[in-house]
Amino acid sequence: MIVSFCLPVPAGAATVYETQAEFLARAFSDSPPEPNLLWLSGERKSAVRQILGHDYPALRLRYWCQADRSAWVLEEIGKELPITVGIIIDKSYIRNLRVLTYRENRGGEVATPAFTDQFNEAALKQSGKLDTGIDGISGATLSVQALTRLATMALMLNAESNCSSGA
Amino acid sequence: MRRLHRTVGVTAAAFVIFMVVSGLAINHSNGLGLDRRHVSQPFLLDWYGLDGPETFQSYAAGDDWLSFAGSQLFLNDKPVATVSNGTGAVFNGEMLIAAGSDELLLLDPQGQLIERLPWGPAGAEKIDSLGLSDNGGVVVASGGQSWFADQDVLSWERSNEAGLSPLWATPASAPENLQQAIARQYRGSGPSLERFLLDLHSGRIFGPIGILIYDLLALAIAFLALSGLILWARGRRNGKQR
Repeated sequence: MIVSFCLPVPAGAATVYETQAEFLARAFSDSPPEPNLLWLSGERKSAVRQILGHDYPALRLRYWCQADRSAWVLEEIGKELPITVGIIIDKSYIRNLRVLTYRENRGGEVATPAFTDQFNEAALKQSGKLDTGIDGISGATLSVQALTRLATMALMLNAESNCSSGA
Repeated sequence: MRRLHRTVGVTAAAFVIFMVVSGLAINHSNGLGLDRRHVSQPFLLDWYGLDGPETFQSYAAGDDWLSFAGSQLFLNDKPVATVSNGTGAVFNGEMLIAAGSDELLLLDPQGQLIERLPWGPAGAEKIDSLGLSDNGGVVVASGGQSWFADQDVLSWERSNEAGLSPLWATPASAPENLQQAIARQYRGSGPSLERFLLDLHSGRIFGPIGILIYDLLALAIAFLALSGLILWARGRRNGKQR
């Protein structure tokens, strides 16, 4: 109990690791395509709700698609604030997942490549879950879960997008 | 030693009980929902310095009002999203559009967020103002240039043609009762109960002097542990001698 005397005062500053423009430039060799739209309605909305445990806080999403590659910028709340994540998918496998902006006071370790590289090559199982086990980080459980949900959601949306058919 | 131990013990007892109870609550704040409930008592909001919004601007959007109160966007008196440095809001007949200095928010007429768009066409500076073109398209003024969106607000084109004269959003004075309702809502979303308990638990709620007093009380508890051990050892030794 005495140890908790040293609890830090929340700082509340967002850390931007990569802007959306930088992420897209990296995903598509400096020439990102025009975005596409995906509306979250009907069964798709229900599927997203099942993955996240709540509705996604927007009615439509944009994604970028070139050949078999798609890029997604999604947000999910870790504990109190949204984490912005960029996800690159090749065919139906995650090529790269990167935290673009982290706003929580604790749990920023999820932005390190040591953690995010675990998502590389992850795909969806028949059950709709990730086929790769993601090791947690002590003290960042909610952020880890948020990123895992977003990876699952991106793979599910990719399968429904034009990109999955190589458009 | 025994008298000092007793005096310090009695003084620190209430503090220890408080630390135990608040520490337990903090450890289980998620399960108890303390991170989702907010402090709303006026004197506590005053204590935290939570006054009304520093900046307040309203825009008439169709029959409704979109207002930027600090970083909170309100549709009439309903908080609908956060946006920093509000620069304008319009209604194009289908969507409500609100602009911050570096993002655009598209909302349906009920205020549900359709999409949050980071502002960043190549070569664009921050958003100065927002408007509508003759055909209801979204227009952004940025760095002295006008940017026109396509129908889905997917892509932007820069244009300085003289014939295009967008209708720019201009702030207006919302009804007084609406302003008051927004100020109440804004002030009401104070710190979470978890944050309040953390500040209470650490003494930070009382400022630097609070932390100092808590430090002294922590030392007093350490003293109690030590003096208790010494008294126990003495008692044991005296018992053996008898």
